[in-house]
Amino acid sequence: MSVGKFIERLLQLIPVLLGVSIIVFVMMLFTPGDPVAIMLGDQHVTEELENALRHDMGLDLPPHQRFFKFLSNALTLDFGLSYYHRQPVWDVIASRLPATIELSLAALVFALVVSIPLGVLAAVHKNSLLDRIATVTSLFGVSLPGFWFGILLIIFFAVNMHWLPVAGRAGFESEVAPITHLLLVDSLLRGRIDAFWDALRHLILPTITLGLPMASILTRVTRASMLDVLNRDYITFAEAKGLSKTKILIKHALKNALIPTVTVAAIETGSLLGGNMVVETVFGWPGLGRLVVESIFVRNYPLIQAAVLFYAVTYVMLNFFADILYTMLNPRVKL
Amino acid sequence: MKRSTTLLALVLASALALPTAMQAQELRVGFTLDALTLDPANHRNRETETIIRNMFDGLVTRDSDMNVVPELAESWTAIDPTTYEFKLRPGVTFHDGSPLTAADVKFSLDRLTKENAMGGQTSPRQSLLGPLKEVVVVDDLTVRLVLESPWPILPAMLPFQEMVSQAHVEAIGQEGMAEGVNGTGPFKLVEWRKGDSVIMERFDGYYGGATDISPTGKACVERVIFKVIPENSSRVAALLAGDVHIINSLPSHLVAQVEANPDTKVMAVNGTRTSYIALNNQTGPFADIRVRRALAHAVDRELIVDKILNGKATLTNGILSPDAFGKNDNLPTYEYDVDKAKALLAEAGYPDGLTVTLDVDGANKEIAEAISAVASKGGFQINVVVGEGSMLTTRFRTKGEPIDGQMWLTSWGNGSLDPVGIFVPTHRTADRGNSSGYSNVEVDALLDAANVETDRSVRADLYGKAEAMVNADLPKLYLWVAQDLYGVSTKLTGWKPSSDSRINLHDACLN
Amino acid sequence: MTTVTHWTGDAGTAKSETLFQRNMKLFASNRLSIFFLFITLGFVFMAVAAPLIAPHDPSDADLFRRLLPPAWMEGGDWSFPLGCDALGRDILSRIIYGSRVSIFIGATVILVATTIGVLAGLAAGYLRGWVDIVISRLVDILLGFPYLIFAIALIAMTGPGLQNIVLALAYKEWVIPCRVVRGETLATSGVEYVEAARAMGASRSDIMLREILPNILSPVLVVSTVRMAHVIILEASLSFLGLGVQPPMASWGSMVADGRSFMLQEWWLSTFPGLAILLLVLSINVVSQGLRDAFDPRFHD
Repeated sequence: MSVGKFIERLLQLIPVLLGVSIIVFVMMLFTPGDPVAIMLGDQHVTEELENALRHDMGLDLPPHQRFFKFLSNALTLDFGLSYYHRQPVWDVIASRLPATIELSLAALVFALVVSIPLGVLAAVHKNSLLDRIATVTSLFGVSLPGFWFGILLIIFFAVNMHWLPVAGRAGFESEVAPITHLLLVDSLLRGRIDAFWDALRHLILPTITLGLPMASILTRVTRASMLDVLNRDYITFAEAKGLSKTKILIKHALKNALIPTVTVAAIETGSLLGGNMVVETVFGWPGLGRLVVESIFVRNYPLIQAAVLFYAVTYVMLNFFADILYTMLNPRVKL
Repeated sequence: MKRSTTLLALVLASALALPTAMQAQELRVGFTLDALTLDPANHRNRETETIIRNMFDGLVTRDSDMNVVPELAESWTAIDPTTYEFKLRPGVTFHDGSPLTAADVKFSLDRLTKENAMGGQTSPRQSLLGPLKEVVVVDDLTVRLVLESPWPILPAMLPFQEMVSQAHVEAIGQEGMAEGVNGTGPFKLVEWRKGDSVIMERFDGYYGGATDISPTGKACVERVIFKVIPENSSRVAALLAGDVHIINSLPSHLVAQVEANPDTKVMAVNGTRTSYIALNNQTGPFADIRVRRALAHAVDRELIVDKILNGKATLTNGILSPDAFGKNDNLPTYEYDVDKAKALLAEAGYPDGLTVTLDVDGANKEIAEAISAVASKGGFQINVVVGEGSMLTTRFRTKGEPIDGQMWLTSWGNGSLDPVGIFVPTHRTADRGNSSGYSNVEVDALLDAANVETDRSVRADLYGKAEAMVNADLPKLYLWVAQDLYGVSTKLTGWKPSSDSRINLHDACLN
Repeated sequence: MTTVTHWTGDAGTAKSETLFQRNMKLFASNRLSIFFLFITLGFVFMAVAAPLIAPHDPSDADLFRRLLPPAWMEGGDWSFPLGCDALGRDILSRIIYGSRVSIFIGATVILVATTIGVLAGLAAGYLRGWVDIVISRLVDILLGFPYLIFAIALIAMTGPGLQNIVLALAYKEWVIPCRVVRGETLATSGVEYVEAARAMGASRSDIMLREILPNILSPVLVVSTVRMAHVIILEASLSFLGLGVQPPMASWGSMVADGRSFMLQEWWLSTFPGLAILLLVLSINVVSQGLRDAFDPRFHD
């Protein structure tokens, strides 16, 4: 892809991001209750002080000016104060972000590791028992309500069998000085195998719960595209040339068959973000999803708005990269 | 598929092979909520208080009988009704080794009470110190607290006002205080993993704590971890699995299970939180005293305590808990009596029963639904509406303005166990917790008189009279004071739950 | 199934009806799909006839039956086959009534979203120009939000409740049929019979509704079924988080949530309603897959 095309595609993001922030802003406008009153809680202040606060927060401006203020603040990650935590909203979000990123990445890896071999094998041995099992499993995978499946996993693996921890992100001995803030990575970098195992044990159940729907979708995608590729002429040609089956699979078929898988994976990573709210709540995972859910119940609106905007921007960017990736992997597609 | 199964098997095997060997002297608490901040001046939140009070000490503290005793202060005297003098203990140091001085005490209290004293913000705890006007440094180890008006409960309000180091605050700034701890408490901060845990270790330079509470000296355990486990079942499972040694907020239906486990037991303490249903006395059906009384006769409180709370609550006929100062023990009870309820309803003009709406927040939903279920026999059709806490607060705690709603199941905590902390705000005309729109000038007069009365028995009498009046007016349906339930490991010694919901780990040991 | 008849009723031309009918016959020959179609219909029947089949009033509480175990367990009672919840309400009856919420919300959201999405997609794909630009931009922007987060943000604003949930989900759901229909319309609008109709002077709305629409019904049907399954899970997730329909109305998601704090011992509180969600969603998904297999030209040979 040429640089020019890339820049053009990048520019197309601007109206979308602008639209997304307008929607978030409008949500904020229509949020019930007076932000100043909510912020003050049961503190008693003079009317002057209240008006000064109102002015500081830009609430006395007309809507379009408020929007520009909101936008310019958002660009500098200034989302105001989380009254509940009495800290800047972005600080609170940033402190919860690594946990969410770690879980999402783990779910992504889990989904890829499960779905690619399964999808390929199912396609190669079409209509075999394995293929049927893969189809049924992936149907279950997209039909299981995550919040319920997570509870079942906890009941079985943690409560009954004591194999895995019930909830949380890390055990007690395992604190390691942060480098990347991702516990798995940090514990390895610090050479703390014990902490690594501990973090991994905590990750297993939430990762499965979060990654299962994605693994199911990717299995289907891989299977379908593998079948598609296997029917193409060049594979038949390679077979005719007498190349070994494994070699054909790996060298020719897999490379092409994985293009849709990778693209869908990039898009689905965005929907993992949504699943986080439920899974983090079930597993007491200290991430952004749980923070947002908690914030709803204490009406911590600035935090909800910032988080929604953050999720949306991440989502848009992921889709953008999925597009780029698809184009790069698949030279036949023109932007 | 195959590869991932092997991987999973490998992980499981290693998990079994490496049992999480506990360090003998690490005490873990499975706790419902994370701290909001580690700045003792910048919150008004019980859970935050519980966690950070292990790292910060106050001028005074409470012993196990809830008496106020000196902690950082050696002693105090009331020079006159509006001036209290505190002598500080010599040799107290902060975690960074610097000594605690009278200047730090003044700084800490000013930070709580003065406008904009926290880097431009005002502390949300300001109103907890009521009429405190000024703090005067007399010498290095003596301070005077000067009040605007007599306020006999000043010492009772001080256990939860912690002392910070002036130099430290000035060095790290207001924002740094959210995470930078330098207190005088028995434990110092190792790491705060937000949303997950607060890790502390023993402060070896600890001065020893309150002399009236033995043992004194540095803390028994080397490390302490508050692990945030919001979900009830998960918290209990962590206790049963031996991952944590103390859990708070043990759900009553799991008491039997914790008791059945040989390694765990249940500890209970009378709470200080009174549960009640606020009734709208201004307009609507509950403006009629007969309807309020009918409701009191229609709700089988004993059955609910027995079935839902597993008997772990004490019924109360007024706002004060049985342990509170000035509690009137002779209040009449509105007995469960379906016929009486129906008769009163008919008298008030509702011979066919009455349909009303009960607002409640998510945490109390189960109780509200149980109340709705039992009250139907007495002619009340109660629809439960789950709302969000702060929204309900604005609708009901209106400070005298019209209330938006009919009934609200809520509660009011009273860590100080003094009526000033609960009776006044919930019953005085237009006060901040008066969620019934209740107004009785005689009650107001009694409460105001008690507020400044320095003779303890006269003061108790005033509250007793006020309680009797309120019991007759019945602005709220008083329910019970629930016990706070804790699950603890049998390895734990030296620790007892405390009525003020503190989890003081100074004396806790592990065997 | 109601959706199917609705769409065939709309299909005007004989030509498309035969294609659609051929597809449906193919679908009907798939025994697995038909089996799950009957399960789905069973749930619909359960929802409609809830007052007739539920053994008890779903909100009839009795503290003396608190946490009663399922009938086959020790202490169980056959008049409460799946046991009782924390307030002594019959779990079976609550599951039966809970199907009303899931199915009502699933069906309403899909109906509203499909109607809007199809019309918008037709307009964008056929009229092109500024209509297409406006609709496509809006679609892009709405696609920028993860679904659950968008719905949660809206409900945080409007408060929970049946109507608000339908709105919160439909606000974004229409985008999906719209995209499909727009793409199909773009592909269809150049083909001969559309050209022919245009040459014969048919109005634009006639062309869109009579010529193009019948030919894109199949993908729309596939998309609506698979999305319905998704919407049902979303509704259950919202209810689980406490943002769904309000008590005393029974909903499967909130039943799972209420049972969660009892999972150490009284596992039946959340297990059964969760199973109900799984079975309904799975059935719809299997039906949807059957429809796709039947409609996909690649499988026709």
